[in-house]
Parts: sequence; C-alpha cells; structure tokens
Amino acid sequence: MIYKILENLDKRFGVEEAKAHCDIPCGIYDPITAQIAALTVVRMIDLMVDLDKTHPDKDVAFYNSIARYVGVKEEHAEKVKHEIRVIWGDYMKAQHLEKYPDAHALVHKIMQLGSKSRQTADRETAVQLVEAVNQFAQIFWETKNVATKRAKAPYAPALELVYPNL
Amino acid sequence: MLRLFKVKGDSLVPDYREGDFVVIIKIPLLWFKLQPGDVVVFRHPEYGTMIKKIEHFTPDGESVFVIGTHPGSVDSRRFGPVPRRDLVGRVIWHVHKPGA
Repeated sequence: MIYKILENLDKRFGVEEAKAHCDIPCGIYDPITAQIAALTVVRMIDLMVDLDKTHPDKDVAFYNSIARYVGVKEEHAEKVKHEIRVIWGDYMKAQHLEKYPDAHALVHKIMQLGSKSRQTADRETAVQLVEAVNQFAQIFWETKNVATKRAKAPYAPALELVYPNL
Repeated sequence: MLRLFKVKGDSLVPDYREGDFVVIIKIPLLWFKLQPGDVVVFRHPEYGTMIKKIEHFTPDGESVFVIGTHPGSVDSRRFGPVPRRDLVGRVIWHVHKPGA
C-alpha cells in the first residue's frame, strides 16, 4: 500500500535514485565515438560530392548511392549529438562545469551543428562540427588530467582530431 | 529535512534491493550522531548519488568509510572514505519493494 503510493509519486514526479552501485563501475566515457561520427559526416558529404561529379547520368544506381550516403550522414550526425549529451549529462559534474563554464555553450553549439549537418550537405558545417567536438574532447580529457595531442585521423577525410596522449 | 530516494542497484542486498524506497533525514542535524551500521546517502563526484552502509569513521572523524554487503559492491574499498560534507542524509525509513 505505502509502496504503491511512493511508486505513484515516483511515476508522477520522479524520485531521485540513490545508487547501491555494484558491478563493473560505469565511468567508461570517451568522446572518440562522437569524433569518429563527426568525421563520418564529413566523409559522407565528400562521397556525395564525388559521386555527383563522376556520374553525369543520374540513374537509379546514383540515387541509390546518394540515399545511402544521406542515411549514414543522418545517423552519424545524430550519434554525435547523442554521445556528447551522454558525456555532458552523465559524466560531467558540477565541479567540471565550474572549471569549464563554456562547456554548456559548446554542447549547445554541437547540438546545432549536428542538426545543421543533417539538414544540409554543407561541408564547412560538418568540419565545424568536427572541431567543436574536438574542443569538447579537449575539455573531457582535461577533466581527467590526461594530456592530449592533435593528429590527423589516419583515414579519409584525414581531419585533425584530439587524442589522449597516453 | 526529509527526502525520498529510490534504491538502484544491489550492493546492499539482501537488506536493500533495487526498487526499494528510503526516506532520509538530512545531514547536518544536531540531534543525532552517525554510527557504524547506519545507511547513508551521499554524493560522489564520479558515481553520483549513492547509498551505502557506514563501516567506520576515519581517525580524524572527517570522513566515513562506507561499504556495501554484496561482494561486488563499489564503495570506499574502491574510492576511499567519503568526506562528511558529501553526506546527504541517514536512512530513517525503508519501504521494501513488494515481492523482493
């Protein structure tokens, strides 16, 4: 009876959880997934542009390939947004945000660039998305006191990424 | 003064199980003293809001060493003592999830 009342309260208002944590600890966060997803967005735009240049005859195969590229671009732009939201929401704590007060604005920028990357095939927007995610990665590794380095990704589109310097 | 929390996880099994509710009395309060064996809710910078049992106090009295009852519990044995300032409150009422 009392449990039922509390359960209803929880459903209606949301009772805060207290974790009796037991298992492999969470804490496995890494912005590299978002960085690779952002690179993929650029790559898909490059593939679309190349295909358009090399296929003057817009046949069914052409549209099929473009549709696939667009689909992957959509998926990965959304993945960027998801991965960043998880780190921002689950990993970053008050003390991190006090130290990096611009993180909120940066996350908002990533959300907007991610959306714009879905809406358009503008390479410059996608490159900006990669860079914004790099800046987020930089902050993330700094919160863990892990040094970073910038290096070109060893695959197309070979843009610079922020990596932990382990 | 009082706060309601829902237990997530099984590190305090069999006393507390996932889905149980607990009411805590907030800390600091002048009219009670924490003791080993008390179950407390606290904030941890890495793991968030947690619930564990006090095993002992550090010699300086500034922190508490908290543990779970499950062998796989993530607690002070992994992340060290919890400063008193991070304690949210002590459990004073426990509502078990039916059938658990």
